[in-house]
Amino acid sequence: MIAILNAYRFRARLPINRAARVLVGLTAALLLALGWSAASGALGISPWGLLSGQADPLSVQVWWQLRLPRLLLGVAVGAMLAGSGAAMQGLFRNPLADPTLLGLASGAGLFVAVWIVLFQDSGAGSLYGQFAAGFLGALCVCLIVFGIAKRQGGGSAAVMTLLLAGLAINTLAGAGGGVLAFIASDEQLRQLSLWGMGTLTNALWRTTALALVLIAIALWLLMRSARELDLLQLGESTAHAAGLDAARLKRRVVVATSLGVGLCVALTGVIGFLGLLVPHCLRLWLGPGHRLLLPASMLGGALLLVVADTLARTVAAPAEIPVGLLTSLLGGPYFLYLLMRRNRAC
Amino acid sequence: MLTLHQAGLTAVPAIAPLDGTIRPGELLAIVGPNGAGKSTLLSMLSGFRPAEQGELRLDGTPLPDWPIAELANRRALVAQQELPGFDWQTDELLSLGSNPAKSLVAALLDDLDLTHLAKRSVLSLSGGERQRVMIARGACQLLSRGSPTAKDGGLLLLDEPTSALDIGQQQRLMRQLRAWAEQHRMAIVCVLHDLNLASTYADRVWLLHQGQRIDHGLPNQVLNPATIAKIYAAELQLLEGSSHGKHLLALAP
Repeated sequence: MIAILNAYRFRARLPINRAARVLVGLTAALLLALGWSAASGALGISPWGLLSGQADPLSVQVWWQLRLPRLLLGVAVGAMLAGSGAAMQGLFRNPLADPTLLGLASGAGLFVAVWIVLFQDSGAGSLYGQFAAGFLGALCVCLIVFGIAKRQGGGSAAVMTLLLAGLAINTLAGAGGGVLAFIASDEQLRQLSLWGMGTLTNALWRTTALALVLIAIALWLLMRSARELDLLQLGESTAHAAGLDAARLKRRVVVATSLGVGLCVALTGVIGFLGLLVPHCLRLWLGPGHRLLLPASMLGGALLLVVADTLARTVAAPAEIPVGLLTSLLGGPYFLYLLMRRNRAC
Repeated sequence: MLTLHQAGLTAVPAIAPLDGTIRPGELLAIVGPNGAGKSTLLSMLSGFRPAEQGELRLDGTPLPDWPIAELANRRALVAQQELPGFDWQTDELLSLGSNPAKSLVAALLDDLDLTHLAKRSVLSLSGGERQRVMIARGACQLLSRGSPTAKDGGLLLLDEPTSALDIGQQQRLMRQLRAWAEQHRMAIVCVLHDLNLASTYADRVWLLHQGQRIDHGLPNQVLNPATIAKIYAAELQLLEGSSHGKHLLALAP
């Protein structure tokens, strides 16, 4: 792919810089992973068979109704988690920041757990309900965090307050989850713990289609913030003098992140380490500029989640490992290794 | 040109209302004891903390009326050192917030003796080197984005630009600031702790104490031993007879 582009550049004299090469490379890798993932699973389905119409009806049914929405959801959730991780790290100017830090994920998680334990019936609306609960949870946390931040005004104290508010919300949500687990029935408890480990099995067209649209909007909002996130790295007062409206940037990034992450949590539970790990690794490779880091993180997150999910559903097929467990098992040790190896921030 | 008309801040930390004009081509030093409100005043001059009384006008237009992006073409701020969280390369950091020509970046790196560090990561630099990088970035913002209709080089606000520099670098920086002020008709405001640097290099001095500007004018007038000794609660002796006619103050043993 890169070779083709390079050849094209010499012929057409187009300025194709490093950023374009990186993004094209990551996109190509993602497409390859999608092709591999589409073909593998408990039921082996050849993409060529599908295209040529020779596959049996069951395979076609499985592919269109189960596997394709799952692939797309993997791409969207991976991109959203890693992209919002990169944006949050930029916003807090801290490589260890993450949407879970603000309490968005746990707030969404608490609302979903409340839904599962207290309101869920076995009716057809249950998935939408879970979906809406996560959405609402993230939105509530977002509004609380915002109310606190607004009272603080600008300045560096505001960032610290945001982090502390996130800590409090995480603790509160953890306690709430404990209470819910205590009163839940065995069946609900099993559902809660499976969902809590993070899995893409809930991918169905009726929820995935809406999620894709909303996540695309959130990703677009983050992409628009790239240049401003770069400026913010100068510190708030210096960045203001350099032309940054920090309040607007914060608003946009926090809203986009909470909507996107709330959605992801509602659909898939908590899939750990993508938001932390992917931007961190890519920053080591590409440098801290957000105009490249944000889209690269989105592609990288999508790639990683698609690969991890394919492994999760094939390694022990027909049984399935929750993909959140897999990403945490792979990502956690690597992240600790990075922390130990590097003696300076990022 | 920045003009102040009874501009002040009422919320703590407060600044008592003051008048003044900061003209293109001059180097103004703001001095005063710890907690006098120097950084707060600088923050007000930059518009980050908008004046709560009176008003500030830049080039005749009140500061709050400037679109934030256009204002960035006319004034830059270098706040006290904040560690950049991420691993920027020196020349990348210089270009943040503007889209400078390569030649401008090279010239500014050369001005502040940073050329050999251009490709280094800023996190690997010493405190003094990083401080010079941030100052170069501020100048880069003004010089690369200066609007074509502007007759002068804008307003550069520096908060303790020499705090991490050795004396040789202090001298080179202050001389360079004077050179920028003259060449580009830039108005430069420095918060300084070192009164002798203010005395040696500044055109004018504002002396701040407990949020009030208690004196302003030429360095030799404002920085007289009696006033300074009282305000800083320090025992001083005046060193006169230096070749350039500037008063220098030393601590009494």
